[in-house]
Order: sequence, then structure tokens, then C-alpha cells
Amino acid sequence: MNEVFWGLPVISYLFLAGVGAGAYTVSASVLLRGGGGGFGHKHFQIARYGALLAPLPMMIGTGLIIFELGTFTAAFENGDFWLLFRWIRLFLTITMSPMSIGSWVLAVCILASLVYAYTFLSPDAKPGDDKSSLRLAMAWVGVPLGIAVAIYTGVMLGAMPSRPFWNSPVLVLLFLMSALSGGVAGILLLKAIFDHEPQTDDAGGTEPAGKIDRSSYLLSASDMILIGFELLAVFLFIMFTYLTVGAQKVAISVILPGGSLSMLFWVGVVLIGLLIPAIIELKYVLPTLLHKKVYTIPRRVEMIVALVVLFGGFLLRYVVVIGGQITGPVGI
Amino acid sequence: MKNSDVNLSRRNLVAKAGLGAAAAVATATLPKPAKAEATDRTVQYAMVIDTRRCVGCHACSVACKAEFDVPLGETRSWVEYIEKGEYPNVSRQFLPRLCNQCSDPPCVRVCPTGATYKRKEDGIVVVDADICIGCKYCMQACPYDARFINPRTGTADKCDFCLHRVSQGIAPACVNTCQGRARIFGDMNDPDSEVAKLIATEPVTVLRQEMGTKPNVYYIAADHTDDGDARFQHQYLRVDTHRRAKERR
Repeated sequence: MNEVFWGLPVISYLFLAGVGAGAYTVSASVLLRGGGGGFGHKHFQIARYGALLAPLPMMIGTGLIIFELGTFTAAFENGDFWLLFRWIRLFLTITMSPMSIGSWVLAVCILASLVYAYTFLSPDAKPGDDKSSLRLAMAWVGVPLGIAVAIYTGVMLGAMPSRPFWNSPVLVLLFLMSALSGGVAGILLLKAIFDHEPQTDDAGGTEPAGKIDRSSYLLSASDMILIGFELLAVFLFIMFTYLTVGAQKVAISVILPGGSLSMLFWVGVVLIGLLIPAIIELKYVLPTLLHKKVYTIPRRVEMIVALVVLFGGFLLRYVVVIGGQITGPVGI
Repeated sequence: MKNSDVNLSRRNLVAKAGLGAAAAVATATLPKPAKAEATDRTVQYAMVIDTRRCVGCHACSVACKAEFDVPLGETRSWVEYIEKGEYPNVSRQFLPRLCNQCSDPPCVRVCPTGATYKRKEDGIVVVDADICIGCKYCMQACPYDARFINPRTGTADKCDFCLHRVSQGIAPACVNTCQGRARIFGDMNDPDSEVAKLIATEPVTVLRQEMGTKPNVYYIAADHTDDGDARFQHQYLRVDTHRRAKERR
């Protein structure tokens, strides 16, 4: 068994940064698309959940990777206090390393997401208030920044021929889709937890709480589409590596039937993390999509879908990070 | 007085400028064939390991441990045993391993702080322990598994061809100690060096050439068999890495 250099801190970081960056991008997109376009107050509310959520997972995840740094561990072992802060070296330079560029992008993204969250902080925040222009500016910045954070992790892992499992351009697509889908799920979860108030639809009428919700249609429908793209990415990821020769073909066998991560991947990631939420969302979204029926989804189902998507997102990072490290180049 | 000062300095200036120009012309036109040759050619230290002469005694590993006080459980230099075949058709080969000091080192490409770099003067890939943050990205990127985190400093560490010895004109510790003279060290770019001659005259191979790293450690008669080959050839194979990582990466 190969040694695993990057363990749970890095896995959690990849997941949390993905969710945070995804939430930022989704929130900013919803705000920019719906803020001035007459989608009404509920879209602003969705953007608000995303904005308030985004910085937290990114900051927690970033805090976690510091635990994986060799210098951080050594600081406790040999009592060198300054080693705790050696990571500052990341920000004293910039190199062409994906990790260097990624650190800068991540730092800028966290700062921008904090400013963006600040513009939503007041309970009275609404479209067109005094922070509106700053909010819109941060939203414009947030879409590319969030996507950049989501894809840099895939580029970082994919940049090494010595790790054939990761060395695929499709990994970037997989991570991006998972990040966006995780961001939507995070927003959906917050919305399902906190949105008890009677809903006001565009016509101004009130609906029973948690029964009818026009705005969550957007979230569930987009999550469903994102999961569709993620399934496509999984398919491409496996096919491209399986159809090649050499190290990549050998490495992918770790998640194919018979491989040590196969169960976790097919049951955990694909079935629980992708297919089940997609099918549930399809059941609720299709009547509205096809027959223009009023979109209804029980809050409990919404929560379960969101949690399952997040669980699948974590398992995906787990399988990818571990799978990449227990496989290596063939030959010597 | 001021005027004369100015005049004086101006005169000095003109004189100095003339001298400078003359000097510049002189250096530019001075024929120095020997020196020009020396500066054109960069030094690239390389090692040739003649596995036919290796008896797997681990003297190189021990010398390396002693030279650097390498922490327990970590290895800068190690010797792998490759046993294969079924009695009576069996063989046991030895494969001494170390950092390949690649000419296109993936570890350098991925280092986010610039702590690891390839020295221009001798082609040795080194880690600056004062800059490294211990992110382990280089350990992921190295196809030879040559790197480890030194638990004392928390930073990446690896073989550096005994830079402290080589820079003083002494052979690396492993080369110095090798009983069978299986390790030959020298400047690959010097056509008169033993390594250059061996590389030119012997059928040398490098490890994992397909990784595009352009390694500078060459092997003569190395056994490149790995698990995949053994499965395909339906033969018994046991690789003993003699390090904490029981399997080759």
C-alpha cells in the first residue's frame, strides 16, 4: 500500500472549498440574473443564503489544510513556534505552481466573499439598498472567482503524471460540477432550515409555509442539471482513462468493479450522491417543467436531497484523493 | 576654485571614460578559448549505477543515513531487491535508488513557494528548508518517491548528491562507500568524465523515462520488472523496498 500524504484535512478542504466557492458562484449568478430582472424578492433571498454561507466553508477548509502542512506538525514536535506560520511563505511569492496560483485565488475569493456576505448581513438587505452597488460588484467578481477556486483544485491534482489517477483533464470538470452542485445543495439546505415564513409569490398571495415554494424550483432544477453534468463528467473521467493504455488504465481500476474503492465510488458517490438526489429532484421538478404545474416539495425532502448531495460531494473528494495516492505509475 | 574643480573632474571623467572604453574593448576582443569553453559548458552532475557490480549490501544507504543523520523511517537513498522466477530459474537483482536530479523536475514545477529548485551551477535539485512549508505537493509529483517530510524540520527532504561534499570536490557519501564501485559520479557534460564515457559506451537506462523528467541517474543492466510485468509474464515477483513504504509507488 502506498503512503497517503494527503489525508482527511485535504479531502475536507477540497470538499468545503468546493461548497463555499460553489455557493458564492451560484449566489452571485442568481443575484445577477434575477436581481434586476424582475424575478422578485425570493431570488434575492436565495442569493442571500448563498452569500452568507460561502465564506464559512472556504475559511474552515483553508484552516484545515494548514493541519496537513509538515511544518505545522513539526512545530509541535520540536517546539519551534514560528514554524506554525511558515505557510505565510505561500503569499510572499507567486510561481507557476497550481498550488501557488490557487492559494492566491483562494485568498482573494475568501476576501471577496466576505465583502459580498457583508452586503447581505443586515436583515433589511434588499435590492436597491445603499450597499447595492458594492453587492453587485462583488457578485460580478464572485462568479469567475468561485469557478476559479472550484477548478484550481482539479488542475492542482491533475498536473502530475506521477499520479495517473488524477492526471486527467476531466477531473477539473468533475470538481467544478461537484462544487456548483454542492453550492446549490448548501443554499437549498439553509433555505429549507430557515425559510419557515409564509411564502409570498409574485402575485402577492400567501401560501402555507413549506408547502408551495416557487423559488426553490430554480435551485432544485439547476441542481438536477448540475448532477446531470456531473454524471457526464464521471462517465468521461472513467471512459477516457479506461480507453487509454498504461498507468492511467491501471489506476482507474481502483474504482472499477474489483477495485478497493469501487464500492465507495459506485454506491457512495454515484448512487447515493448523484442518482438518488437526481431522481428525487426529477420527480418534483418534472411536473413543473413539463406541465407548468405549481412547484411543490416538502421541506424534509429538500433537506434530505441537499444532505445527500453534500455527502456525495465529500465522498467524491475522498475517493479521488485516496484513489490518486494508492495508485502510481506502472513500470520502473 | 569651483570652476577648476569642475574642469578637473571633467578631465578625470574623460580620461576614465577613455580607459573604460579601452578596457571594454580589450576584454571583448581578448582571445580566451580555454575560459570561453569552460563557461559555455554548464555542469550537470550525474550518477551511473552499474547494477552488475551491486551486491545489495546497503552500505550506500547506511553511509547516507550517517552523512545526513536521516531520521528513522526515512530514506534519501535505498536499495531495492527484485526477486523473480520459479526455482531453478530465478534471479535476484539489486536496484539502488536515490533522487534522480531530473533535468525537468516535476517537483520544482509544482513547488508553490519556490523552495525547491534546480541549481544552475551543477544541476542538483535542492530544497531550501527555510522556505519550504511542507505542503507535500512535491512528494505527490515525484514519480520516484524520492522525497519525504523530515520530521525535525517539517519540510521536504531528499538526496542532494551530497552537495556539501561535491561542492568541495569530494565524491558523494554513497559513491565513496560503495564496495563494488557500482556507483560512478561525475559531470555528465564533461566528455572526459567517467560518467559521460559510460553513458556513451554502455547500454544505459533511466527509471520511468515516460514521465518526461529527464533523469540524471543512469543504470546499467537494471531490472525494470514490476508487478504489472510479472502478472503479464505469469511469474513470481517480489520487490523488497527496504523502506517504510513497502510498495514502490
